[in-house]
Amino acid sequence: MSGTLKTRSFLVLLLIASALYMVKDTFTYYTMSESDKVIAIENGKLDDMQKNMIHRGLDLQGGMHVVLEVDLAELIRTRIEDSDKTIENLITSSLETSLENGDDFFQVFGEEVAKTKLRLARYFPSYEKGPNAEVLIALEADAKDAVDRAEEIIRNRVDQFGVSEPTIQRSGQWRIIVELAGVTDQKQARELIQATALLEFVLVQEDPQLVEDFMRNVDRAWVALSGPPVEETSTDSTVAATPTDSSETVGSLAELLSTEDGETDIAIQGEGDANRPFSSLVNIGSNMIWVPESNLHKVKRYLAMPEVLDAFPEDVRLGWSNEPRDLKGDGLNYYALYLLKKQAELTGEVITSAKEAMGGFSGAEFVVNVGMNDEGATKWTKITAANIEKRVAIVMDGVVKMAPVIRSKIADGRTQIEGLDNILEAKQLAVVLRAGALPAPMVIEEERTVGASLGNDSVNAGTNAVIIGFFLVVAFILVYYKGAGLIADFALFLNLLFTLAVLSTLNATLTMPGIAGLILTLGMAVDANVLIFERIREELRNGKTVLRSVEDGYARALTTIVDANLTTILAAGVLWQFGSGTIKGFATTLFWGILTSMITAIFITRTIFMILTNRRTMMKLSI
Amino acid sequence: MIELIKKANIDFISRRKTFILASVIVIAVGLVSLIIKGGPLFSIDFEGGTLIQVRFEQGTQVENIRNQLSAIGYGDATIQTFGAENEFLVRVKTSTKSETQIAEIRAAFASINGANDYEIRRLETVGPKIGKELRGDALMAVLVAMLGIVVYISFRFKFVFAMGALAALAHDVLITLGLFSVLNIEVSLTVIAAFLFIVGYSLNDTIVVYDRIRENIKTKRRDKFMNIINASINDTLNRTVITSLTTIMVALVLFFIGGEVIKPFSIALIIGLVVGTYSSIFIASPILIAYEDRLVEKQ
Repeated sequence: MSGTLKTRSFLVLLLIASALYMVKDTFTYYTMSESDKVIAIENGKLDDMQKNMIHRGLDLQGGMHVVLEVDLAELIRTRIEDSDKTIENLITSSLETSLENGDDFFQVFGEEVAKTKLRLARYFPSYEKGPNAEVLIALEADAKDAVDRAEEIIRNRVDQFGVSEPTIQRSGQWRIIVELAGVTDQKQARELIQATALLEFVLVQEDPQLVEDFMRNVDRAWVALSGPPVEETSTDSTVAATPTDSSETVGSLAELLSTEDGETDIAIQGEGDANRPFSSLVNIGSNMIWVPESNLHKVKRYLAMPEVLDAFPEDVRLGWSNEPRDLKGDGLNYYALYLLKKQAELTGEVITSAKEAMGGFSGAEFVVNVGMNDEGATKWTKITAANIEKRVAIVMDGVVKMAPVIRSKIADGRTQIEGLDNILEAKQLAVVLRAGALPAPMVIEEERTVGASLGNDSVNAGTNAVIIGFFLVVAFILVYYKGAGLIADFALFLNLLFTLAVLSTLNATLTMPGIAGLILTLGMAVDANVLIFERIREELRNGKTVLRSVEDGYARALTTIVDANLTTILAAGVLWQFGSGTIKGFATTLFWGILTSMITAIFITRTIFMILTNRRTMMKLSI
Repeated sequence: MIELIKKANIDFISRRKTFILASVIVIAVGLVSLIIKGGPLFSIDFEGGTLIQVRFEQGTQVENIRNQLSAIGYGDATIQTFGAENEFLVRVKTSTKSETQIAEIRAAFASINGANDYEIRRLETVGPKIGKELRGDALMAVLVAMLGIVVYISFRFKFVFAMGALAALAHDVLITLGLFSVLNIEVSLTVIAAFLFIVGYSLNDTIVVYDRIRENIKTKRRDKFMNIINASINDTLNRTVITSLTTIMVALVLFFIGGEVIKPFSIALIIGLVVGTYSSIFIASPILIAYEDRLVEKQ
């Protein structure tokens, strides 16, 4: 074998090997039994797998795609005091015009207002009195904040629905796109996107005795449920964890004290302790329980069982943080689990303002300043006075966003929350705090729901179509080109494999049009080989030797193949750019299918021909 | 050696007027249908509205559903069976409050065979605003694709080739769009995707022939331009037919077993593939004759 041929063969084998490696996770996942899947979820392997596999689109696994848009008219109406016909008509007509021309609502509204010489400030007393332009800016800012709040609320809730891989993204200024796999119940979805959050201030149960009771009771209930657990789950609790909770504090503006959190955490040892199945999976901190990410699914499943719930000490409910933290800086993430009082001390309606700012003891810390109404301020004074140095959790829709320590009695409701790492975190917390008080009117502009059963039907139909299509093309080529057809068929198989490999690595989503793209690719991918083979035949007819014909056939067909395939790739690119959702899936598979077909049809089949014609002079070619 | 067409030597050029006339007639039929029906039949993707795919376990009649829906004020709903006998596709115009609308429709379905008998398998609601935007996007996509192609072909070949290819593409899309109107099939987002695929595919076919014309212009300088084009089409005829066969084959597979949801897409593909193959043989290259002077002079 010549040097170049060796290199080529090696490259081909390398390509095949890496493609097989790349599709491994996709293949394993879709052939896994349901019970194996549960195990994989609990030992965290599934999360790793899902990073390198093809996902099913909503149209294949069932789910919901919702486009929400802030209802600008409604939002403005809620801000108006003393509404009258004039302003009502203005809003309605601006809305119609902006819909008609596709213009920005506020621009149209501004223009319409300008025509009427109306003084906007008169309708919106809650904004600073100023010229119309300023009121318009304030309104627009208000609308943006509504979208921010709605997004925050939805993100926060999505976790609770147990939806795998939810997608929440902003589209333009006023829209949020939410994609939920597996959710087809409209009521459920409605709850999710209903844009007012339940915001609560709840005291954290910090009594060590109570925490100990909780741990013991849960351990007992757990043992009773499952028997001693097998040592299947790894735990880090052998390492005495000393998680340093960041110093989150609440204090009044007047008497703000920034003290260091000098807390040492108690870690319970006990890996594989058969009597303490729960304790052995978690680490106990001073005011919260830290659950390693890898044990999260298991712990959550057990804690949701009625037998375990019954074993909770009185006046305890759970609050999870929804963002994990890398406590020890070693790449291992922990979720905080708080034991909370059942009754909330205050709810979000009392909040009148929440704004991120620079402040704190040094004046250079990131803080959130919160204002409360009179009713809230009165209650808050009592609560803070009675619970100094205790933690109060800020809970949105059941999720603990933060649990700062009360540093002092706050008399006027003006509260400053400290301990935020950066301005973004402060901003996010401010949005959370506002979300409990201000509704964000969102309307569904687009909704696409596919039931799981239809999704299943589509998967089956699609898979069958791919398989049947593949064998039809393979048979056709084999009959038509004989021996050379076999090589082309092998290339076609590799084309399918490589496409799936690339899609797996890209973590791509396969939709029904995507499957159609895969099938079409199969039909088109042989084109390159057809071009080459027809050329070889021509050269043979012209009386050239086999070797020469093969060489010339490849050489001459090459530019044609590249020119011709690039147009389809171009079309796929345009589709990808303009298409939405499922259409993008079609563009993706088509793009990669055609691209890999050029590699398989040109490079790989050529290498096989080279191996065949190497050493011996081929007199006849089966083509 | 199996060959579909043994030593193809068909005179396409001298009969070009017949082929072009045939295409013009088909396009005219489509255009008449489009005019009578007031433009293409757009799906809810572009018109806005609600589409519900519903299955009744114990089955029911279209008339039943219509009566129930009329009773609550959806007399203008279109209802058709979909795939199976007990499965239906219901389309209604979107009212301002889509949420209450869907609740009302659910209640109507429940009154047919009871609340546990029906299953909503698919539900799509598109507001008028988004429908309008999607229409703009789709139109933009088709235009950008066409523009990209002109640029690409002008760059790789000569500008006149781009004109020929563009004529073939317009031909393909017009015929497919027209036939969709004649057959009363809705143009949806996926159908637009199929159109764009056809654009790419038809061009693929055309370029193969053009490549050969370019090659033959160099090698057969003394031949008449007409003969060069004829030879080029014939040289590539086997390839054109084989690739079209395999691609149409898989499109047929998709049509027959790909499921009901993807059917309009499959139909667009099949029509487009047939028309696209036809155009690259009978339209795209013969049209070049008109530009003979500009192509041959420069050699």
